[in-house]
Order: sequence, then structure tokens, then C-alpha cells
Amino acid sequence: MPQWGMAVDLDRCTGCGGCVVACHAENNISTVGDEQAAVGRAKHWLRIERYWEGDFPDVRLKFRPVMCQQCDNAPCEPVCPTYASHHTDDGLNAQVYNRCIGTRYCANACPYNARFFDFFNPSWDKPLQLQLNPDVSLREVGVMEKCTFCVQRIRAAGTQAKAEERDVADGEIQPACVQSCGARALVFGDLENPSSEVSRLSRSPRGSKLLEDTGAQPSVTYLSRLTQV
Amino acid sequence: MPQIFSRGANTLAKLSLALGLMGAVGAISLLIIFGKSSYVTRANEFVEQPLQFSHAHHVGDDGIDCRYCHTSVETSSFAGIPSTQTCMNCHSQLWVDSPILEPVRASLRDDQSLRWTRVHDLPDFVYFNHSIHGKKGVGCETCHGRVDQMPLMYQQNSLQMEWCIGCHLAPEQFVRPREEVFTMGYRPPVAQAVLGPQLVREYAIQSLTTCSTCHR
Repeated sequence: MPQWGMAVDLDRCTGCGGCVVACHAENNISTVGDEQAAVGRAKHWLRIERYWEGDFPDVRLKFRPVMCQQCDNAPCEPVCPTYASHHTDDGLNAQVYNRCIGTRYCANACPYNARFFDFFNPSWDKPLQLQLNPDVSLREVGVMEKCTFCVQRIRAAGTQAKAEERDVADGEIQPACVQSCGARALVFGDLENPSSEVSRLSRSPRGSKLLEDTGAQPSVTYLSRLTQV
Repeated sequence: MPQIFSRGANTLAKLSLALGLMGAVGAISLLIIFGKSSYVTRANEFVEQPLQFSHAHHVGDDGIDCRYCHTSVETSSFAGIPSTQTCMNCHSQLWVDSPILEPVRASLRDDQSLRWTRVHDLPDFVYFNHSIHGKKGVGCETCHGRVDQMPLMYQQNSLQMEWCIGCHLAPEQFVRPREEVFTMGYRPPVAQAVLGPQLVREYAIQSLTTCSTCHR
């Protein structure tokens, strides 16, 4: 059974935001408008955090794309009363929208702010509803949603591989953010397979995990910057 | 001052407790039975269609293979609904004046698809894939029933999650050889208890019950 994980090379990330747009498009993430966003109800399964370092004029800007870290020991899972938030065999923190009753315990438990509550029913200005992805269900009001590592793509590739009686090849599955990253800063793959690119990158001495001391054991490895801008 | 309660009041109180309990259990059971009833699941219910298409005639009498019309069933999640042209492959020659086929001819004339009503309609948060089920030896008949005996199409099973999981937990009870997937009225050549586990091993069938298998 593969264990899906990701490596983010911060040296390559230019902060362009292509992954954020791709994520919204792939996963039917609705927008809430600027007023609601101002009170913290915006939903971005993937965000790019900006860090300014130094004083003007000698400032440096660093970017860090942050998505659900798909923790092995996820704090969001044991708090869910309906098992809507649960761990899959292949190491994902899955969220079953149709089980979720919206207690929001999981979002409170998540150290990464990677879970988003639907305060409204989704709506799109016409004709934008035509670009919705049919492989991802729409989340109704009162449901928690989050990055799934594009589980629809993982399952589709897995089904295809099974139909052809083979294993999923390394690099065959690309979540929307990975696919759209022009700088190839994001790499997705099987951490269980020692020869996969993501495993190789995760073993790098530059690698570190976000908020590792929470004990959440995230599956996303960040490779620190080498170059200084 | 006389007693308020008579001698019989104790019995009555005990009886009311027992009856109340039975009533509560009964009400909950009724709710559960109602939830599984065909009234809720719409099983065994005929659906109004633009045209009275008979699977019994086309599959049963004529022996047309499922894949002649449902072309993408082996390659796609969606089995596919035939286009008007597929109907007209035969009906440009057969029953060309039949009044019952007028909607088909009108559809071809006006270049407007026939708007069939979906019979097996899963909730929008369920993602089912036809191709992999066929590849793993799940017969059409296993879910759709004896289509060759249905003059009008109806949903034979509840399509509730419990029903899906029933097979996902015990696929050996339902699996059949791949070459028999499109057979109607299939009978296992040897006992299913022998053949089932053998096919499960051969086809490497996994009991996938992780939620995200179907819900995304």
C-alpha cells in the first residue's frame, strides 16, 4: 500500500500562485466574496505564505506553499465525532463530506489551519458553473473541507493501474498544484517506495517538516532555501 | 381519606412501562424499515421515459449484447447511453413506420437527443466506476438484475451504501469469470463457494471499504 506524500522545494518556489489557482479550479472551491474573506471565511486549500525578512531597503521575501500536511498522526482525526475525518490505508487524511456534521472540532485541532468551513452554500456566477470538476463533489453549507492531495486523481490512477494489472508508476499521479507548478517546486509520490522522487527529496538534509514538535508527523517535507535573494 | 390508587394501579403502571418501551422500539424499527423500503430507495419502480424502450425485447428476445449500446462500460466510469444513431442502425430498416418509435425518428430529424430519465441514479457524492467492476468480474446482472426480463427498466436493488458494502466485504459471493460479465441468467459452473475465492485471488480483488474509494 503506497503512502502518499509531497516534497516542496522552497528554493524553486517563486510564489507565483499558480498552484492556488489550479487547486481552486480542480477542487470546485467556492469563493465567499471580499466581505466574508475579511472575517476569515475564505477557503484556500493551498495558500502561499509570505515571510519578509530584514529591514528596508535590505529586505528578503520568502514563500512557503502550505496545504494539508496529511499527517500520519493527525490531530484532526480523533476529534471527529462522526468519523468524517479519518485516515485512509494509503496515508491520506480523508474528509467524507456527506458524513460531516460541522462540529468544526477538526479545524480547531489542526495546527496548520488547513481546514475550511463552509459558511455558505457554494455558488458560481454564470457561466462559471460550467467549469466545475465533475469528479469532485460540491460541499454544502455546514461542512468542513480540506486539501485531499487530489484524491480523485489518486483513485482514478489507481483504478486505471488495477485495470491494467500493474502498479501506479512514480510521477503518474499529479495533484493539480504539482501539475501546475511551473518551477517544479512541488513533487508528489509514494513515500513507501524508496526510489521514488519524493522519497529521495524527503531524505534530503535540507528537508524539514512544518511544526514537527506537535507530533503530527506530516507527510509534506519542505526543502530549505539555499540561494539568498 | 380513601386511597387515590386502586389495587390494579400497580399492574397498570408496570404495563404502561412495558408498552412504552415496546412502542419506542417499534417506532425506531419502523423508521429503519421505512428507510430501507422501496418507497425511499425507489427500487422496483418504473420510471417515466420519453419512449417505452424494452430491455426484455432487445436483450432477451434479440440477444443484443449490453456493449452494443452501452459502449463505454468497459473503459469508462460511465456505461454510456446510446445515441439516436445507434438506435437508427437497426430502426432505419426495422419498424420504420412504427408509431412507438416516432420519438426516435423525431430525435434524428430535429438533431435533438432523446432525454432519458436516469433509473440507477446514485447521489452526487458517490463516484462509481463501471469499468473496474467489469474487469474484476462483477456481472451487469449482479447490480442491475435480470435486465433481459424487464419490459420497462427499473432499479432492482436499493443502491444504498449498505448494499454496496455487502459486496465489497464479501466479493467472493458475487464475483464471476470475466467472460461471463455480460451474461444474463449466469449460473456458476462449479459451486460459488469454490469458484468465488479462486476468482478473488486470480483477479486480485481487494475489499475496498475506505470512504474515499467512492466519496471525494
